Amino acid sequence: MKVYDESSEDSETTTGSDRIKVGIAEYQVASGEVVLTTSGLGSCLGVAIYDRETKTAGLLHVMLPSKAESDGDNDAKFADSGIRELVDELEREGADRSNMVAKIAGGSDMLDFSENGSGIGDRNAEVGRRTLDQFDIPLEGEDVGGEHGRSLRLETATGDLTVKSANRESVTL
Amino acid sequence: MPDVLIADDSEFMRNLLREILEEDHDIVGEVENGVEAVETYKEKDPDLVMMDIVMPIRDGIEATDEIKTNNPEANVIMCTSVGQEEKMKEAVKAGADGYITKPFQKPSVMEAIEDVVPT
Amino acid sequence: MKVDIQSLGTFNRLAHEGAEEATAAMCQMTGLDAVVDVTKITLMDRDDIGEQLRDEEYVGVQFAFEGELAGDTVLVFDREGSRTIAESLIPGGGASDSMARSSVKEIGNIMMSGFIDGWADFLTATIEHSPPEYVEGTGEAILPDRRRPDSDDADDGDGADTSGQNTEQIFVFKSEIEWVGESVSFYIYMLPEYEPLAEVMGRHGQAQGDAIPVDKLQVFNEMTYDGTQRAADNVEMMTGIETEAEVSQLSFAPIEDVPKQVGTDTYVGTVVEFTGVPSGFLMVLFDEDSAVHIAEAMMPIEMDADGLTGQHKNAIEELGNIMTSGFVDGWANVLQTSVDHTPPRLVHDMGRAIVDPLAAQVGQHQEHAFIIDSEMRTDDIAFGAEIHALPNETELRQALDELLVDRADQTDADIEQIF
Repeated sequence: MKVYDESSEDSETTTGSDRIKVGIAEYQVASGEVVLTTSGLGSCLGVAIYDRETKTAGLLHVMLPSKAESDGDNDAKFADSGIRELVDELEREGADRSNMVAKIAGGSDMLDFSENGSGIGDRNAEVGRRTLDQFDIPLEGEDVGGEHGRSLRLETATGDLTVKSANRESVTL
Repeated sequence: MPDVLIADDSEFMRNLLREILEEDHDIVGEVENGVEAVETYKEKDPDLVMMDIVMPIRDGIEATDEIKTNNPEANVIMCTSVGQEEKMKEAVKAGADGYITKPFQKPSVMEAIEDVVPT
Repeated sequence: MKVDIQSLGTFNRLAHEGAEEATAAMCQMTGLDAVVDVTKITLMDRDDIGEQLRDEEYVGVQFAFEGELAGDTVLVFDREGSRTIAESLIPGGGASDSMARSSVKEIGNIMMSGFIDGWADFLTATIEHSPPEYVEGTGEAILPDRRRPDSDDADDGDGADTSGQNTEQIFVFKSEIEWVGESVSFYIYMLPEYEPLAEVMGRHGQAQGDAIPVDKLQVFNEMTYDGTQRAADNVEMMTGIETEAEVSQLSFAPIEDVPKQVGTDTYVGTVVEFTGVPSGFLMVLFDEDSAVHIAEAMMPIEMDADGLTGQHKNAIEELGNIMTSGFVDGWANVLQTSVDHTPPRLVHDMGRAIVDPLAAQVGQHQEHAFIIDSEMRTDDIAFGAEIHALPNETELRQALDELLVDRADQTDADIEQIF
């Protein structure tokens, strides 16, 4: 039997399909044979967290590094608060933090016009890593930086995260 | 034939200008930013500079200002896609002798050059 | 009339929630699965509304509403979508036209009542609506009387037609809803009459410092159209391809919806950051086929290579540069200021991934954003170019404050006068 879950505050009905789209500043959690996808990551960061035991997975698409630095009350928009929310939601769905592993992709430097300091893409990845570390969730793979966009596909059955780009070969983390 | 220095960060535009000019001019240099424009000007002392405005490192108005400060006799024609009145005034202040807006056709380039460096 | 940013945000959210309720009602009745993709408020020419619908066949349900707000609202399905709905309500219902029609009418009625009720509740007022009317048509013709019969003599004198041009700009609330796992979409358009809406918006805003003068937004929009036309003229001069500005519009949306303004296809183009008043980012984007085509038209020699080469990219980079200037120079000249921009950065990537880092940079300081979208096309060959600008709110507001409506047509500089 397939079990579908839906998680984000926007509470969109996802029952009945085996492909769930994750928009910008959103996350989705699912288990069973489901594919979670998100597209058009530039400096945005995609965070995939997977519990091997329960085969429950979540995918988050964040735009900015830290909630404290910007306006906005949507936790899923920021790397730090978004990961926190995603971990909570996974736990509510029966996943165990001690079984969780993570993969991140995105955070490119493309079109970063800031002249000094590191760009948003870099900081997204950095805050993402740091927050995962605070939760003791090991980072199993990453495909970040560079100057190209990415789209992601996370399979809940295996935890495989496939990264696609416009002008290059796909990689699976 | 008059010596010309071309300063434009766009390879496409440098090629286009070269094609228009090379029949009646000696192209003594092609550079990609304002710093190189000032240096190459000092080195080659050309009769004319075709100067873009929006360039990396240093823009064409600043470069024109320095070239004209060092050598008030220098001839500089701005050759740019910028069509803003305030920018044109800045260019005049920096000492530019002419202003061509892109996209241009060969006759208007020749006319502008004839006004600034009569043959 | 001034409208503050917060009330624009509130109205956008209201439309979005209305669309979600309507969609939930539909999902519940049909067992189909759909999500609201984008909701945005757009200020545009009445004649251009529905440009996105192109030449497809549509069916829908239309209401007129009046009260605190007045106007029309339409729910638009493509034909295939309407059959799917009919089929899910009554198995076999998709086969018969009259069954399909009554299904669409019924479901449209339920969906749109929820949509209108949300507005009435928020405004704590009553909004009456007419019985639903079943409509069908091709492309934008599905939308209600886009040219209002009374528009010639109705001069309300409140800045709605400041330019004296023969156009009328109105605010449109548009939601795009996507069927999960299908390639069909449907749309909810709400076309309120300008005056009552502006009044309601004004009333719901706080008269704080961040208010935007609405009538000047219209003037700004017209300047944008001029800028697009100038960029199109530049394309024509460089390529010999006759090019026309098609649509220009100014939208307002949550920052996270900004990247959805551009498709998921691969685009080629340029991006600059511009500084001054206004400031922000500007993209000139071509689909790959158009990019190859237009670059070859710019080159003096025939290309024998297939696809997009370095030489093509050089040509696109310069074309993007010149189009960018054509677009922003008008703002600078009307505002009697200068708008500087960085040298163009060439991009070749998925459309949304190009917009994403720009939205993030703007999003560090604001939760909603204005987006300026323009398009140009030509009839001769397959060619399309899009210009998108993402201004920073603070400088846009300053630019609008400083905008002298009388100067709105002074977009050209006079070189002769200066040199």
